Amino acid sequence: MPLELHEATATLTDVVTVDEVEPLAAWLRATEKPKVNLRRCNHLHTGALQALLLFRPKISSAPANAFLAEQVLPLLAGGNGTASRQGSEPP
Amino acid sequence: MNPLLAQFLAEAADLLTSVDEGLLQLERDPGDPELVNEVFRAAHTFKGSSGLFDFPELTRLTHAAEDLLDAVRGGKLDLDSGMTDDLLAAFDLIRGWLAHVTQHERLPASAGADAAILITKLRGPLGGDATTPVVEKAPIVHVIAPPPEWLSHFEQEWLDATATWLTTTSSTLRFARYLPDEGCFFRAEDPLHLISQVPALARIAVVPPDEWPSPDDYDEYACLIGFVLATRAGHGELDHLFRYVPDQVEVVELDGDALRRFLNGEVAPEPVEAADAPVVDDPQDPAVVEDAYAILAAAQTSLRDQQEVGGVRLASIAHSIASAAAALGDISELSDLNAEQLTETVNRLLGSTPAPPAAPPPPALIERSAPEERIDRGRADDPGGQVGTKILKVDQEKVDHLMELVGELNVAKNGLTFLADSAEEEFGSRVLSRRIKDQYSGLHRIAEELQAAVMDVRMLPLSVAFSRFPRLVRDLSRRLGKNIELVMEGEDTMADKDVIEALADPLVHLVRNSLDHGIELPDERTAAGKPPQARITLSAVADGDAVVVEIADDGRGIDPVKVKRKAYEKGLISEEELESMGDQEAVELVFRAGFSTADQVSDLSGRGVGMDAVRASVEKLGGTVTMKSELGTGSVTRLRLPLSMAVTQVMVVSVAGQRFGIPVDLVVETVRVPGGEIGRVLHQDVVVLRGEVVPVIDLAAALRMPWTPDENDDRRILIVSLHGQRVGLLVEQFHREVDVILKPMEGLLAYADEFSGTALLGDGLVLLVLNMKEVLGLAARAA
Repeated sequence: MPLELHEATATLTDVVTVDEVEPLAAWLRATEKPKVNLRRCNHLHTGALQALLLFRPKISSAPANAFLAEQVLPLLAGGNGTASRQGSEPP
Repeated sequence: MNPLLAQFLAEAADLLTSVDEGLLQLERDPGDPELVNEVFRAAHTFKGSSGLFDFPELTRLTHAAEDLLDAVRGGKLDLDSGMTDDLLAAFDLIRGWLAHVTQHERLPASAGADAAILITKLRGPLGGDATTPVVEKAPIVHVIAPPPEWLSHFEQEWLDATATWLTTTSSTLRFARYLPDEGCFFRAEDPLHLISQVPALARIAVVPPDEWPSPDDYDEYACLIGFVLATRAGHGELDHLFRYVPDQVEVVELDGDALRRFLNGEVAPEPVEAADAPVVDDPQDPAVVEDAYAILAAAQTSLRDQQEVGGVRLASIAHSIASAAAALGDISELSDLNAEQLTETVNRLLGSTPAPPAAPPPPALIERSAPEERIDRGRADDPGGQVGTKILKVDQEKVDHLMELVGELNVAKNGLTFLADSAEEEFGSRVLSRRIKDQYSGLHRIAEELQAAVMDVRMLPLSVAFSRFPRLVRDLSRRLGKNIELVMEGEDTMADKDVIEALADPLVHLVRNSLDHGIELPDERTAAGKPPQARITLSAVADGDAVVVEIADDGRGIDPVKVKRKAYEKGLISEEELESMGDQEAVELVFRAGFSTADQVSDLSGRGVGMDAVRASVEKLGGTVTMKSELGTGSVTRLRLPLSMAVTQVMVVSVAGQRFGIPVDLVVETVRVPGGEIGRVLHQDVVVLRGEVVPVIDLAAALRMPWTPDENDDRRILIVSLHGQRVGLLVEQFHREVDVILKPMEGLLAYADEFSGTALLGDGLVLLVLNMKEVLGLAARAA
């Protein structure tokens, strides 16, 4: 199951598809101070990303997947993208 | 292929040629405003037409070339060799792209990168004076595309670092904005997944919605966000990845300067139009107006012809329309990509835009008021207008096929004479035989005329073979640091296309040789009392059924003593020859295999294969090469080629009961001598003819066919001339001369060098045509 929803923490595993978007959004909407664990997540559906961007949960664990870690995580962590600059230096 | 694209490609070839020619002329005569205008118009037309297709690199590159030319036209810049080089390179690159487009209907993947380099170069001379009106016209100078405002979605710091990096490395990045539509999740699209597949992704950023909805109203199935991304992936890669959503993606290529300007707050207000709109210096310029009409008409046609115009096509059509509209001084909003709306706009522009009052369009344009004619004009897409006779462009293969059929007809026709003979001999009907012969002569006349007509179609002017030389000479002379003027004479002399095509390589060899070895450096020339500018003359004249092409230079000429010595050192001639050889003969030594006088091998020529190869290929065409040279004043190489290679006249002889053909041009005479008159000198049969000793070769023996001539009979000897030497061939019998279509020896027979080809005779027999050079070689070996 790619999505494990607990009281305050959601664990996203492997590929999060469009099917998980609705429960994830509902959970984010209902949860007071949501935390999301992306460590074993390999792909986020755009809808899931959008939900995370809207509700801004705390990312409790950074993804191991290179694309998510380098490109997507900064979007989630940085608000308007000012924080993390990982992987942003031109080689 | 879409008919519009096919049309574009066909015309592009002509445009490219005229641009090339114009540029070269322009370099010689930089002040000529008419020439500048011509080249500019060609480049402009090119860009205009390219806008109809989805080739953004092509449009951008021609745009850059056009800007440069426009500045030259406006007198703001003087065209120098460097600029000409860049312009020529740009159009060469385009030529390469179009070849690719012809095959694959898209630009090669490397197009973006290649174009970027040239665009920067082309923009270089313009960038110097940022305040001149030139720059105002094309507000973005060093940029490949204007920086779009959506770059602001990236963080400043990153943009800053990237700009510095790109400037330092003079490289570019491609930036894309991807705005998926709201319902895309329902079509199983996952924009982020698509982006994760972009290779060499440098950075992504989210384009947030204008306003995030409140959590309660949030519809998690509506895609509200978009992305901007920076990547090193090529245009081709991006096009491929985003091929299903092309209308939602906008890609620009930016360099460091563009980013820097963006960071400084200079944003092009309407990036799309600025990138592709033609340089409109004056909306009243009739040329521009005319082009705009052509584009609009073409757009109208393509909108009407293609009921279901895809998103990309629609977008590019919209682009062209917007550009054309801008040129007509009508800024239309074409934000909505809707076929009907576009059609409407086009109709409105075509129908209602008043003719510019200041400069009324040329009469030709006024006549084209009927809409049908406009459409035709759009198809032709030729603002220059075809004046003069109507010319059909026919595929070469079709003409070749026609020629083959004429050959077959000749063979079939010749069969009739045999039929007439057998009617008389086998069936005893003299009347029938005569009637067949009558029919034959009628058919013969028609076949001859048909053949002449087809040959005429195949005739091309020699300018086709000469056309590449202005460029070749210019490039090579610049590289070698020599100052050379190329003079071409008699370019309109006609010859068969096969001859013209086969002539190309030998000519290149000869011209290169002249350039490399013949012409001295300017200092040397001045020291020798010659003008520093050397001259190479290419000339062609028709001479009966042959065409004579001469390559003459006024360089240092060939030193016969040096040549002889070299040939002797290389073991090409014996010591006696070294002593006795005349100057003219010595000069001709350069045609021997393995001869090269250049002390240093250069990359142009001088590997000792050149002249040898020239002679071989010219002789293969049935021609001859001679060379005359005078030390210190220059050399002349003369190629003599048959006007046509399609039909060969051969003399038929028989040996040991087998018939062979010998090309008539080689035959000098036929003689019969009594057996006793054949003498023997040094193991070689000879015959004395008018005081000249001619060696006689027994053809049967050379071909290893058992045959002994009848002792009492006269000997029949065919005298041929090869490389100026006379040789007699002992044969059994002479027959008539025939015109044959020579087919090369192929497949299993390819090894048989002693035959140059086969031909089919009217009676169905196969005639082997001898390659005299090889046959003499065989005879020499056998002796």
